[in-house]
Order: sequence, then C-alpha cells, then structure tokens
Amino acid sequence: MTDPPPTFLDVPTLLEQSQPRHNPNVLLYAAAAFVLLVFTSAYFSSASGTAATLVNDMSSIAMLGIVFAMGVATWRVARRARSEQEQLAAIEELMQLRRWPDAAVLVEQILSKPTRTPQARVQALLYLSSVLTRYHRFEDAIRVQNELIEHVNFDPNTAHALRLARAMAMLHEDHLFDADRAISELRRQDPNRQSAGLALVEIYRDVKTGHPHEAIEMFDAMKPAMQQQLGHRIADAYALMGKAYDLVGRELEARAAVENATVLAPAGELARRYSEFASLLEKYKPATAPAKAA
Amino acid sequence: MISTEVAISKLRRDLTVGAMMKWIMIAGFALALVIGPFVGARSELLIGMALLGAGWMAWGFRSFRDTHRATQFPSLIATGQFDVAEDQIERLVRTFSPFKNVKLLGVHHLAMLRHAQSRWQDTAALCRALLRQRLGSMSGLNKTSRLILADALLEMNDLPGAYEAIERLYDQRLSLSEAMNLMAIQLDYESRIGAWDSMMQNLAYKVQLAEVMNTASSARTQALLALAAKKTGRKDWHEWLRRRVELLTDVQKLATQRPLLWEVWEAEKRSQEPEARSQ
Repeated sequence: MTDPPPTFLDVPTLLEQSQPRHNPNVLLYAAAAFVLLVFTSAYFSSASGTAATLVNDMSSIAMLGIVFAMGVATWRVARRARSEQEQLAAIEELMQLRRWPDAAVLVEQILSKPTRTPQARVQALLYLSSVLTRYHRFEDAIRVQNELIEHVNFDPNTAHALRLARAMAMLHEDHLFDADRAISELRRQDPNRQSAGLALVEIYRDVKTGHPHEAIEMFDAMKPAMQQQLGHRIADAYALMGKAYDLVGRELEARAAVENATVLAPAGELARRYSEFASLLEKYKPATAPAKAA
Repeated sequence: MISTEVAISKLRRDLTVGAMMKWIMIAGFALALVIGPFVGARSELLIGMALLGAGWMAWGFRSFRDTHRATQFPSLIATGQFDVAEDQIERLVRTFSPFKNVKLLGVHHLAMLRHAQSRWQDTAALCRALLRQRLGSMSGLNKTSRLILADALLEMNDLPGAYEAIERLYDQRLSLSEAMNLMAIQLDYESRIGAWDSMMQNLAYKVQLAEVMNTASSARTQALLALAAKKTGRKDWHEWLRRRVELLTDVQKLATQRPLLWEVWEAEKRSQEPEARSQ
C-alpha cells in the first residue's frame, strides 16, 4: 500500500508544523556547564595559589567569551527573525500584486517549519487563509480562521476583518445558518461601526438567500462608506447589485451595475469570485477595458 | 502639542549626548582593561564595568520596548487617532534615550503625524532634520522620509524641492507600498510640470498599482492618469479612467483638492455653471 501524495497547503499539517518551538535543553545544558565550571574553578582555586591566579585569569577570559557568544547568538536570532519578517512582507506584496501561486508557495514554505515567533505564525496563517479563499478552498480557510479566532487575541480591526472573511467563506460554502449567526455576532459586537465589509457580506447573504430588496436597501444606505472603505473591491458590491436588480426585474439598473462592476474589475475575476455574477454575463454586456497603451 | 523646533532640537541634543555617552563608556572600558592590572584594583574595576554594562543593557531594553511600542503609531495615525498618537509620540520624543534608533523613530513618526494633519511646513522641516542625520541601521527611514518630504513639498508647491527628493529614490530598492507612494507623488509632480507623455508610459502597470492603493490615493492617481490620457489624445483611456474615479470617490471633493483635475470633468463643469448662475 502506498501513502497518498502530500496535499499542497495541507492545513492540519501546516497548523501543526508551524508551532514555534523553544529548545529548553539549551538552557539546561548552559546551566549545567555553568555549575560545572564554578565547582571546577573552586576546586582548583583551593588547590594552590598559582592555580587560583590561573583560574582568575581564565574566569575573566571566560566572562568575555560568554559576553561575545551572547552577542553573536543575539545577532543570529535577530537576523533569522528579520529574514522571516522579510518573507512575510514578500507574501503580502505577492498577494497585493495578485501573484497567488508564488504567495502560496512562500506561505507553505514558512508554515511547514516552526516559525521564529508566534507573531510571525499568526501573520502567516492570516495570509494562508487569504490564499485558500482565493483558491476556493473555503472549508480549509474557515478552519484556519477558526484556529486564529479561538487562540489569538487580535486588535478590534483585525478581529473584525477576520470574522468578516470567515462569514464570507461560510456563505461561499453555503453554510448559511453559520454565516447568519456570524453576521449577527458581528453586528452585536460593534453596533455603531459603519463597516463596509459587513455590508458586503450582508448583501451577498441577501442575494444568495433570495432577498434582493434587502440587498438593494443595504447598498443604497452604505454606498458612501463602501466607496471609502472598499476601494476597488466596491466592484464586488456592484456585481452583487447586478444580480439583485436582475432578480427584481429592474434590468436597466442591473445593466448599469454590471457595467460599473466591470469598469472597476475584470468580468472574469468577478465571475470567479461570485458564481451568481457569472450567469449575468450572458444577459448583460460587461464594460470593455481600452487597449493597452503603447 | 510638541513644536517642530523643540522636537528637532531635542533630536540633535539627544543624539549628541547619546554619542558622547557611548564613546565615554567605550573609552572607560578600554582604560579599565589597560590600567586595571597596574593599579591593583582589577576586580573592583571589573565589577564597576559589569554594573555599567548591566545599566546600559537595562536602558537598551527599555529603548527596545519603546521602539516596539512605536510600531503601533502608524496604525494610530492611519485610523485617525491623532490625539492618542500625538500624546505617545510626544512622550517618546521628549524622553531622553542614548540610543539613536528611538530618537530617530520618534521624529519620523512625528513627521508622519504632521503629514496626516496636513501641516506641510512642519512635515518638511522634520523630514529634513531626520535626513540630515546618519541613519545607520535605520536606513529604511530614509525612503519613507523622502516620500513624505516630497509629498509635503508638492503640497507647498515647491517643485524643485520635490524633484530633488524624488530623484534620490530612484537608486534605492523600494517595497511595493513605497513604489506605489512614489508613483502617486511622481504623477502629481509630472502633472504640475505638464509631463503628460511621461505620465502615460507603462500606463497599464500604473493603473494596476493604483488599484491596490487606498481609495483616496487610487482615485487621485487614476484621475491624474485620466488627465494625462486626455492631454495625449487617448480618449478611450480618458473615458475609462474617468468612470473609474467617479465610481470610487466624490469628484467634486477630489477636484477641489486638485483644481487641475477639473479638466477631466470639463464638460460636466461647464454644464453645471449655467445651472448655478440661474439659481
């Protein structure tokens, strides 16, 4: 019987292997060596005056040696931590530039061995969940997000963004009950927050569950906040609005929404993100980007 | 609120005193090692040196903590919590530390704060003071400070100064966010000197970068590109980018900040003027 081939971005393995590990043996060895050194030097010092002078001189040299070794060790640790940070920054850039395959390879590289610091692991796991979402591996993404939400104490903004991403993944995976509960939780946690991300998730839920009127209402109320907070990702909202208007038979508005969405983002990309939008492209013509400038 | 002059003079004084302290300590250590065996007080000198070293390390640890805390300042500034940021940065700038990194970071973040508050003169003065220092291990601040300086100078309409600041960034390796900032600033600069052809070079790449920026920068960058497209007769790109900007932001607000951009919406503006007059 042969083992199954290893899965790319295997979440349980990466979660396990990325745990930072401290080697307590190093401290034990160091303490033992120190005790041994103290006893040996005490023995030789008591043996004769010449030995005592020699031990004194050796102790001074050893002290300098320890200071030097500590300096070198600290420098090496700092260098490795910096290199890990640079790798994380590279992943972020690759994701921003939409070079997903490269980002995925780098995330796998970082998480397939113990990270230097817990913070680096958390950061890499956040990137992993984005990469998994991009590849439509929503169950795996939810697993990573749950792991982070349960074990890490985030600042309010990051926690909100993470919970939003999880709710979105749940909707994509048709876990409608869980998604609805996650949305209610988000609303309850910060009722005064004007969250464009949350509005987008709610619009998607309403479109998915056949409540286009609520989706339209939400979009109209939150449009300025969405413009400000989502940037080009407001294309997602326009794409979903295309579907909502189409569902209620407002074809003119649906056409305009599809055009707006595809002015901001390529039609193919939006169809990949939302299967609901893909069906609209047969009915409404997307905007065409101009030919590349020379 | 700490004034720019005070912050700069504190920076200079602390850096000088810190450097002096460091050299005095090194000289003291060397002297103790050399003369210790001759004066017969080697163990006392060793203990003294160890105590001094421990004190220095403790101070270093505190500074490391301050530096670590300072990493939160950009997010405070980005989320508009200016009062909290002001308070914490002021404390960092006013507290004496013999370590260069802490002082440089303090002034750098103060410059970032003043930039976010649109206090261009102060921003430029702080950045210039910082760039005059030898940054050593904080050389990364050089690029960010130059970008902030260039932007502040553009806002002050100091085009030669902005050019000088931008020019020096071209021989440096930039991160993606620095490259995006540089592109936005350069487009702003080029639009002021009318370098439309240069703005249109690598247009697709520039548009792709603009898509990753925050909404305000993205809208402004694409509006500037729309203007360049109009000036160079690329009607298709002009129309496309103009529509994108309209979907991203309030055009009225954008063009009020950069009146030059009204030209992108010239037809709309003309149609609005008679309406306004009739009212």
